[in-house]
Amino acid sequence: MRSLSRLPTLFGKEWRELTASRAYWLLLMAVGPLVGHGFINAVALYAEASGVGGGPAALPQGLTPLDGMLAPTFGAYDLAVTLLFPFVAIRLIAAEKESGALKLALQMPFGAGEMVAAKTMALVAGWLFAWLPGLIAVVMWKTYGGHLYVPETLNLLLGHWLRMLLSGGLAIAAAALAESAASAAIVTLGFTIGTWALDFIAAGRGGWLAELAAYTPAAALRFFERGLLRLSVVIVTLALALAGFAVAAVWLHTGRKFGARLLRVAVLLSLVAVVVWIGSLARASWDLSENRRNSFPQADEAALRQIREPMRVTINLAAEDPRLMDYERGVLNKLRRVLPRLEVVYAAQSRTGLFEGAEERYGEIWYELGGRKAMNRSTTEPIVLEQLYQLAGIAVPAPSDEPVFPGYPLAAHPKGARLVFYALWPLAVISAWWLARHRRR
Amino acid sequence: MSGLIGPHSLPLAALTRRLTMALLTVNGLFKHFGARAVLRDVSFGVRQGEVLGLIGPNGAGKTTLFECLAGILPNDGGEISANGQRLVLTRRKTALFYLPDGVTPWAQQSVDWAIGFFERLYAAPVKATELIDILKLESLRRARIGSLSKGERKRLTLALGLLTPQPLLMLDEPFDGLDLRQTRDVMALLRRQAAGGRTLMLSIHQLVDAARVCDRLILLNDGGVAGEGTIDELRAQANLNDGRLPEAGLEEIFLALT
Repeated sequence: MRSLSRLPTLFGKEWRELTASRAYWLLLMAVGPLVGHGFINAVALYAEASGVGGGPAALPQGLTPLDGMLAPTFGAYDLAVTLLFPFVAIRLIAAEKESGALKLALQMPFGAGEMVAAKTMALVAGWLFAWLPGLIAVVMWKTYGGHLYVPETLNLLLGHWLRMLLSGGLAIAAAALAESAASAAIVTLGFTIGTWALDFIAAGRGGWLAELAAYTPAAALRFFERGLLRLSVVIVTLALALAGFAVAAVWLHTGRKFGARLLRVAVLLSLVAVVVWIGSLARASWDLSENRRNSFPQADEAALRQIREPMRVTINLAAEDPRLMDYERGVLNKLRRVLPRLEVVYAAQSRTGLFEGAEERYGEIWYELGGRKAMNRSTTEPIVLEQLYQLAGIAVPAPSDEPVFPGYPLAAHPKGARLVFYALWPLAVISAWWLARHRRR
Repeated sequence: MSGLIGPHSLPLAALTRRLTMALLTVNGLFKHFGARAVLRDVSFGVRQGEVLGLIGPNGAGKTTLFECLAGILPNDGGEISANGQRLVLTRRKTALFYLPDGVTPWAQQSVDWAIGFFERLYAAPVKATELIDILKLESLRRARIGSLSKGERKRLTLALGLLTPQPLLMLDEPFDGLDLRQTRDVMALLRRQAAGGRTLMLSIHQLVDAARVCDRLILLNDGGVAGEGTIDELRAQANLNDGRLPEAGLEEIFLALT
């Protein structure tokens, strides 16, 4: 309890260390123009699609602020979290290791756990300031007359927050484990590149690799960018991020023998693996997008929920076949949300389907339910749903009268955005840095 | 304990009794780095209220011994006890504080902040203003720690160490980087701390300084204790009282024992 009462003092120290780091100020400085670039391009493209200047407008239903403005604007944070933020996090540990301050810190009246917790709190608080350009972009969008749907906006922010936490956890763990900041940076970037490679390979292979790739930082973020809140993604990302911080806390206890620390880390990682596995089984998800892009129409969902038996879908399509991608996006992702006992089998033998295409079964999608089987080659939603109703013996529901998503065209110019993001923001950051530097004295 | 206490504040009997009580006992301590034994069967006692010097040639294991005692490094064998009870790793930080040599903690922060941080953290028993005055840190208060010279940094870290409340303070090379006058001032300060009840263990490579400030000495050589005691006791251990060098100083003793 005494150490908890000292946590504010410790947090104050970590906050000062964070704001004393040039890497942090460079991150803040870079985030403004990066977000600004994304925002300005997004608003301009949105305006073009909305028929600015008398040009042809796209169908209004296709114009959603989530895809058109929020995802590309906040996408800049993904870049910053991947390439800049780890260096800020690594410094919090590596600088103390290299300067000898860690030897003093380890003797202070709190454990390594509290020390890492205070560093994490400082990182999170520091990241809140990095969000300012994104929030400015949102406010500017509103001043242009743009529409925002709060649940999908908050969901996107949650996704980016989890992404930051994961990156921070990994970087802090790497900094604790590695001898130097450079080694920690290599480990962190190596992990990121590894997840990119996994994403790339999984896209061409499907199967369990694709299941695993759903939890890479980039893939996890895509769910939030589509307006989907998946419990499994939240649990897995949070567990991995916290595992990083916990590993750091265990490893920084340098007074314990190497073997003892290794054992503790192994036990901890085993526990995390169990949590991740259980978390990945969680099927709960919420479609927070305004246009309900991740859901079937409500009447269809109600009808499908009548299916209690386990359903198996066997797909004879190669992972790189665009029909499979359509099917995943348009049918399977929605079906997984409605049918918790859905099993999907990817039966294709090759990545491309080039040589399987000539086979008789290639392209077939088999549905099995309660001993009954049916085959259909279609990957489009209404046809698949009709097939499922027929197989389950459920009457096709009458079309529901739910309101149709109207779409939100906005033919606005990103007025003032260049000035704000390319000039005022960097100036504000430089001024804040100068003030912080002089207040430290 | 409030403020710095003068050297003659305790009655002689109480001082004598305190000096013979073992505050810390180290028994059979071993430490290896890979196949290399850095500490071998190190045993000694630290008496309450004394200034104990740790001397030895480079690579003797002085810093490693300090880091093992402080719980920064794990020891491979042996036992450390305080007041007769085994001092487990989690209790080390309540019993002792170790101030490493050559550190530049929180280089971007100011001297004032570092002192204030330790003051807040420990509810320091010693007034920081007195330490700032004695260690001549007043003019450096607004300076960035990273910009300090070696001696200035040493004075700052000494102040930080003296702000901690643990009964035993271990200082690695406390006079390294200090000029003659500063060395004398710091010696006097450390003596006053010891007289006030705090136990000090100092690793010193300048034997003249060690002889001047320490009550007792431990001579560490090649990872083992080559001698322990007052200068007279060490002289006897080195068999220099047999008429060869009856007035032998610490240097001769050091050479004879290592």
